[in-house]
Amino acid sequence: MAETHRIQASWYDGRTAARHEGFLLWDGGERVRLEDQWQQGLEIPFADLRHVDSQRNTLVLGRHSEPDFRLSLPRDVPADLAADLARRLPGQARYGGWIDRIGLGKTVIACTLASAAAVALFLTAPEWLGPRIPESWERQIGEAMVGDFGGRICRTEAGDKALDRLVEQIDPARDKVRVGVANIDMVNAVALPGGQILIFDGLLQQAESPEEVAGVLAHEVGHVRERHVMTAILRQFGLSILAGGFNSGIAESALGLASMGYSRDAEREADDYARARMRAADISPLGTAAFFERMADQYGDEDGSAITGWIATHPSSSERAKAYRESAGGSSYPPALTKPEFNALKTMCAQDKDVEDFDFF
Amino acid sequence: MNRSQDDNSSAFDFEGSWLEFAPIAFSNLLLTIVTLGIYRFWATARERRYLWSRSRFIDERLEWSGTGRELFIGFLLVLALILLPFFIISQVSQALMLRGQEVLGVLLTFISFLFLFYLVGLARFRALRYRLSRTRWHGIRGGSDNQGFLFGLSYMWKNVVGWLPAGLLIPWSMTSLWNERWSSMSFGPFTFEADARAGPVFPRFLLFYLAPFIMFIAAIPLAFAGVAADFDNLEPGAGIVFAFLAFLIVFYFGLGLIAVAFYAKFYREAVGATRLGRLEFHFDARTMDWVKLLLGDVALVVFTLGIGWIFLRYRHWKFFMIHMDASGEVRLDELTQSTTRTAGHGEGLLDAFDVGAI
Repeated sequence: MAETHRIQASWYDGRTAARHEGFLLWDGGERVRLEDQWQQGLEIPFADLRHVDSQRNTLVLGRHSEPDFRLSLPRDVPADLAADLARRLPGQARYGGWIDRIGLGKTVIACTLASAAAVALFLTAPEWLGPRIPESWERQIGEAMVGDFGGRICRTEAGDKALDRLVEQIDPARDKVRVGVANIDMVNAVALPGGQILIFDGLLQQAESPEEVAGVLAHEVGHVRERHVMTAILRQFGLSILAGGFNSGIAESALGLASMGYSRDAEREADDYARARMRAADISPLGTAAFFERMADQYGDEDGSAITGWIATHPSSSERAKAYRESAGGSSYPPALTKPEFNALKTMCAQDKDVEDFDFF
Repeated sequence: MNRSQDDNSSAFDFEGSWLEFAPIAFSNLLLTIVTLGIYRFWATARERRYLWSRSRFIDERLEWSGTGRELFIGFLLVLALILLPFFIISQVSQALMLRGQEVLGVLLTFISFLFLFYLVGLARFRALRYRLSRTRWHGIRGGSDNQGFLFGLSYMWKNVVGWLPAGLLIPWSMTSLWNERWSSMSFGPFTFEADARAGPVFPRFLLFYLAPFIMFIAAIPLAFAGVAADFDNLEPGAGIVFAFLAFLIVFYFGLGLIAVAFYAKFYREAVGATRLGRLEFHFDARTMDWVKLLLGDVALVVFTLGIGWIFLRYRHWKFFMIHMDASGEVRLDELTQSTTRTAGHGEGLLDAFDVGAI
């Protein structure tokens, strides 16, 4: 029979606030016994004890079977007993759960790696997730976004015909892109998911030739055919989450669309696509070159210059003007649209009586 | 156990030290960063376990028995039940507005914000309930059997009534909401009682309310002085700019000071009017104590380039404990265990709206 150790202890039974003062008795077995000044005993198996808190001079233990029970022991128990008892008592929780088992250092390293992987996955998600989104989803998202423009899409018979003719020349696919003109006074054009393209009326108004419009359209078709659109939208969405918000206002959604950012590589791909298509369709790239030269004059040539919209997120205008100009062959081109057709396109929004004005609020 | 207010030592005391707290704060910060914020909930629980365990009430330390896991579950619940639906509704109402259904869209937005307003009140109630239910003293905990759903409504209408007469009833709405909230809470078998009055805090509120007008009138001679100074000065405009800057500084600091003075008075009144059984609580922080706390906070954060931020909760808790006091009597044999239900999840709702419990 081992000798019985006595340690001063106090406890609360969890039923009243009265404090029990007494001793913890331990004979080296599987359980401890608590005895207060009236010799009333309480036997607790070690397995029932759990660590609650380590205070400066006191160790506080609880019981699994009685959540409200609290036992306070001094931390400076006799040395011979301390090691034995410490082995039996539950280990203290510091950082919580499994971090204590693994250790702080290893946890930090593991979490850093996991977090870095998660961040990398999140940042690259647009790249690999975008092109994998099913086309049926993409079409629905695109329709919802066009729906956001409500009655602000201009429609006239002659204008639609002219647009169709441009698309016919530029887009070789059997499932043609669907192009609309939005009654918005910004020099801009956007490609939406599901092969929807919107040209803003502001861009048509400043266009001096049908070839300019054809160049812009071919560029947007390039984004559609190279499957850039969902990638850009996912990136935009990810940025808005990072920026702290599901903030959504009407103005923001339209502006967000307008400033939807493609990567520079994507822009270059779309430009290459546009030039190749225009060459195949025998449309002069000089009009598009002139457009970029005008933009460079008007808004400066800095990347991300003051204007939001089509020009701002693209490579520098003069650089692109040069590329378009150089792609021109020596021969002369037939006009992309006839004068009346181009005129119908330009007056589309003015002619459409049902179209709504666009304002941010 | 008897305590009178004349006792030299306070019923509440704080025995922590920032050197002891620092390892907790820094390891919390580290783990929070490397887990992209997920550890935050466990960090909060650890921090509170320390702060509570170093806080003494009469003869025994407090204990925080809340866990990080329950806070995390609370957060997930808020995310799934409130933030996600809110996000969807805002998208739907936006789409409605863009499609020409402006009235419906605006109505939907309005209703969802009304609901958010309700949730802020509910969150304040639930946070206090949660904190009391996880606070133990002599093994006994607090809590409430009230779910707080009606308090959410009170929070809405009392705030509206407080603002309606040009904001003049705000002190009433504050004290009244304090009373309503605390009267639903209990510790052990005893229910808290609170009857804070708006009257004693009203003068300071009026001062805060009228200060902008008074200062504006006082600024007129200052502006004239500025203009006058310009005549003697070679640099025209410097005088008026200086006067304007001086006015702005006095305006903001003065108004801030008066706001603190109002809040200090409110807090003394509110805590002083709160009782538990035969215990009466007191709070003795005066305006200057609050000013020192706030300036100290700013200095701590600025001079440590932001790192000091992790010590703010420690400072605030210490401030709270040092200035709390209680008088009266606690009969330990009468103080039996609370029978209130404890919510299995934490303050998610509170965290989502970022409002304090007390």
